[in-house]
Amino acid sequence: MIQANGQVSKAVVTARAQEGTSSPVRKKKNRSLLYKTITPIAFIIILIGLWQLGVRVFETPKYLLPAPSDIWKATLKGFPDLMQAAGNTFIAALFGFLLSVVLGTAVALLMMASKWIRWGIQPYAVVLQTIPVVAIAPLVVIWLGPGMNSIVFISLIVAIFPIISNTNLGLSSTDRNLMQLMQMYKSSTWTMTWKLRFPYALPYMLGGMKISSGMAVIGAIIGEFVAGIGGGKGGLGMAITSAAVQMQTSFLFACTIAASLLGMAFYLTVAAISHYSLRHWHESAIRSDNE
Amino acid sequence: MTTTIDRKTATEAAEAIRIQDAGKQYENGTLALSNIHLSVHEGEFVSLVGPSGCGKSTLLRIMAGLDQATSGKVQIQSEQASFVFQEANLMPWRTVVANVALPLEISGVSAAERKQRALAALEKVGLTAHADSYPRQLSGGMKMRVSIARALVSEPKLLFMDEPFGALDEMTRHRLHEELLNIWMNSNLTIVFVTHSVFEAVYLSGRVVAMEAHPGTIKQIIPIEESYPRTNAFMTSPQFGEKVREITNTLT
Repeated sequence: MIQANGQVSKAVVTARAQEGTSSPVRKKKNRSLLYKTITPIAFIIILIGLWQLGVRVFETPKYLLPAPSDIWKATLKGFPDLMQAAGNTFIAALFGFLLSVVLGTAVALLMMASKWIRWGIQPYAVVLQTIPVVAIAPLVVIWLGPGMNSIVFISLIVAIFPIISNTNLGLSSTDRNLMQLMQMYKSSTWTMTWKLRFPYALPYMLGGMKISSGMAVIGAIIGEFVAGIGGGKGGLGMAITSAAVQMQTSFLFACTIAASLLGMAFYLTVAAISHYSLRHWHESAIRSDNE
Repeated sequence: MTTTIDRKTATEAAEAIRIQDAGKQYENGTLALSNIHLSVHEGEFVSLVGPSGCGKSTLLRIMAGLDQATSGKVQIQSEQASFVFQEANLMPWRTVVANVALPLEISGVSAAERKQRALAALEKVGLTAHADSYPRQLSGGMKMRVSIARALVSEPKLLFMDEPFGALDEMTRHRLHEELLNIWMNSNLTIVFVTHSVFEAVYLSGRVVAMEAHPGTIKQIIPIEESYPRTNAFMTSPQFGEKVREITNTLT
């Protein structure tokens, strides 16, 4: 907007500004936003209604498919347990996520610093991604023992790959001209990394963190399946396992919904941080502002 | 003004750059530059013109130390050099003033002094009002001004410019020509300017170095005697047309 090189473009700017406040355009924009919000809500309400109706009409047994109302009742009844379990999972996923960010970034920085490390590590970073976590989880439990340590570690394994891969991509796509410019001013490697390569990689890193955030929650739950301990310390994974064993299908649904809400909260938090830190300059943040 | 007197006696001033029989051969055997002899005096404004592939940018990069000659001798008197690229090359996450302050930040100047000197450099290009804007909010011409301010902030003795105005529209380009000449006249900068526009070279320079390709060599060095400050009248004068024709004939 600040392209005002002369009077003519200034006039264009004011014209645009007026356009923004003129009522028909804004009304139309608001209305489309309203539809965008209402449509998915209406959709889910209809779906839940049909589900409730179907279960009542066909008299499905509760342990096989509970009605939404049963799930709601189970949620209310088991609410303190559910919150405690979700809280445990939250802590494990948070640590898993934060560790994956710190370690993943460190690994990517090492890979940038030395081609030997890059060549040495790269294939195994991919292998890490393809190993079925469920298969190595028991091994982790053998090494670290059941409980929080193992759960955090499994969450870390699941979440770290997108961080390494995206940070690596970001760090290796630094603008060449800017690097030359900094070399001309005799910038040290540290200054170059901190002031140029890191900010340049930031949008990539944040993209990786968005993916990892949801995966850390999934990893924590997988970890709890395998390494969860009883006595209200097992998190959602443990709650899901015990609900399944006891055929408490309604509560099982409640746990699953809680798990996905937790993952969503993680994702939205990271997405908000990402948007906030890129709002001044990166296309991704600017474009979504204009929509 | 003493500065104008200095310009007239530029040929007797000390040498800022001396290149003797320099050449550049790429690893695949291509000869980019050959048999280059060139002296640039302190306070001079020299342009390199020629068709693409004549090695003018390579020669500039060798002078700036961004590239190495494979033969001959290149002597630069001052370490204090800045480079302006074809694109503005600003960091999109930094405000205008923080972009300008970058060279000072690298050399460890204190924050307060950085800001003050960056604002002073921005004043030279008339962008003080946009100090806190982000690059994406600026037009192409304004971005290039920021890039020039960033080059000036370290108070260089030598300024290397690689087709800096190539991507700008005619009006903006001409305004920047005048601003650049103004900055140059009020300082003791030595400027080496690469362009493919003969008009631009004649309007700005004290000497124009005409180059030809395959391999890149200097064909002729043409002095432009017109005194500074140069006005629009110079652009439409017979002398101007004469110089443009002379250089164009040399190049073709």
